Amino acid sequence: MEVWKPTTIGVDKCLQSQIGPLQIRLRRSGDEIHIATERLADPDSLTEISAPVPVSEIEGEEMDWRRWVVGSDVSTVQLTPRMPARPVVVRPELPVSIPTGQEALFFVSIPICVGISASKSGKLQLCEVPTLVLSNTWFGDPMSGELCYALRSRARRQIADSEPRPNRAVCPVKIRNTAPAQLSVERFCVHVEHLRIYSGSRQLWTNEVNITFKGESEVSQVTYGQSPPSFEPVGQLLSEARTPLKKALLKRSLGGLSLFGGA
Amino acid sequence: MVVLSAINWSSLLTRGNVAVIIRIVLLLGIGIPLLAFASVMAGKAAKKRVSPQASMLIRKAIFYFGTIIIIISILAQLNFQLTALLGAAGIAGIAIGFASQTSVSNIISGLFLISEKPFAVGDIIQIGSTKGTILSVDLLSVKLRTFDNHLVRLPNETLIKSEVRNITRFPIRRLDIDVGVAYKEDVKKVREVLLDIADKNPRCLDEPEPAVRFQGFGDSALQFLFAIWCVREDFLMLKTKIMREIKDRFDAEGIEIPFPHRTLYTGAVTEPFPVRVVPEKKRPSSQKK
Repeated sequence: MEVWKPTTIGVDKCLQSQIGPLQIRLRRSGDEIHIATERLADPDSLTEISAPVPVSEIEGEEMDWRRWVVGSDVSTVQLTPRMPARPVVVRPELPVSIPTGQEALFFVSIPICVGISASKSGKLQLCEVPTLVLSNTWFGDPMSGELCYALRSRARRQIADSEPRPNRAVCPVKIRNTAPAQLSVERFCVHVEHLRIYSGSRQLWTNEVNITFKGESEVSQVTYGQSPPSFEPVGQLLSEARTPLKKALLKRSLGGLSLFGGA
Repeated sequence: MVVLSAINWSSLLTRGNVAVIIRIVLLLGIGIPLLAFASVMAGKAAKKRVSPQASMLIRKAIFYFGTIIIIISILAQLNFQLTALLGAAGIAGIAIGFASQTSVSNIISGLFLISEKPFAVGDIIQIGSTKGTILSVDLLSVKLRTFDNHLVRLPNETLIKSEVRNITRFPIRRLDIDVGVAYKEDVKKVREVLLDIADKNPRCLDEPEPAVRFQGFGDSALQFLFAIWCVREDFLMLKTKIMREIKDRFDAEGIEIPFPHRTLYTGAVTEPFPVRVVPEKKRPSSQKK
């Protein structure tokens, strides 16, 4: 995708890019890079994506510009998709139960953040802007849980059910129930800080998450796939995980679950 | 000057005395800095394993214990009879103990506070009407910095006896807002609007879910309790923003927030209030504003 490639920015020139509802303007002035962002309310903007293109500076004058001193030799800027900085909590589209020994695959559509960097001898990270402002939520009990983002979009069983969005990455989550009782999935937590982002043929993808549920009183085992998902042809790796992880994690990842009697 | 000149310095500065003086100077000059360094290092090492106040206690205990050893060593150099001194200290201890009951009580209370850990340095606590951030938990007292930047010293004994509310112990807090609307308003609509306000504010947690409880019939309003959760760092910001959002939204939805009305009633037997209509006078132009 062109939008994620480095773009040259001339002195006193202005570029504009759009990733879903997020509109980004970049301006180079002397040794400074100026950045302004805006979230568009227009529903048509949700499917729009455009690489940084030159625009007239006058158009964005009323926007709230932030400034970075990067040096006068910096002439390239780059946008990078990033996962949100906190875990996300998602509910399935319809209530789903998983009997003992079975597994279910869910597709979670996660709104990305856009990292903006300037290139010198190395990359200068300037800022990170969420494409959607996500609401806070708490996962776990009020004394020892963790702060997460709540996803308004629901986890789907079929990838074909969701329309591709340029500002979202799809994360395949496989939940396996090894507990001796049936598992009713009401919501689950995905630690997105351990996820990479890949460019797919239709949309962005993350590596796969595998959650093994062992029982209500046990912590779940969570592993993160090390290769790109295979649900559609996947291109290059666009972004590394914030916190790369190779070992399995033992975490409480399923919440609000109810257990029914079983063998 | 007369006293100093009367001292026979040559007799004092014998070889033995000079050696004693050198030893005392060495004890003070090397011992005290070494002790200070050791206590600081021990405090730093302890900080990695125990709470800040426990590490502070370890640091102070090492320093005071070392200081006592240095004082005893100096007294021994000066040929003081330590057994007699300790005996005298025992008698003095009883007398001082009676005189310092409050201090001892505070020290013992401080030890209880440190072992019980109802709060730690950096927590925000409320005792009675005093609210502030804990700066230190010492043996005798707890020091708070209030939000208007005052230092408040609370004796440990008071803390043990009083109800202490630790506001920041848990990571999330509930914000309770009393909302009153006019009697003519639709209760269901008010509830929906309040929940929508919570839903649209990203600082307001989705879980635990926001709640609207119909509290009852007030003097001039239907009373609701609007309870929302947030992380403790967002509490003040959310409180300020959500109040404004409630007002703006109620105005937009045409929901009336009433204020107490007073109807003057002159009684059945009295005549109505006389009202006299006064024609508007033309004021001089200089008085017009």
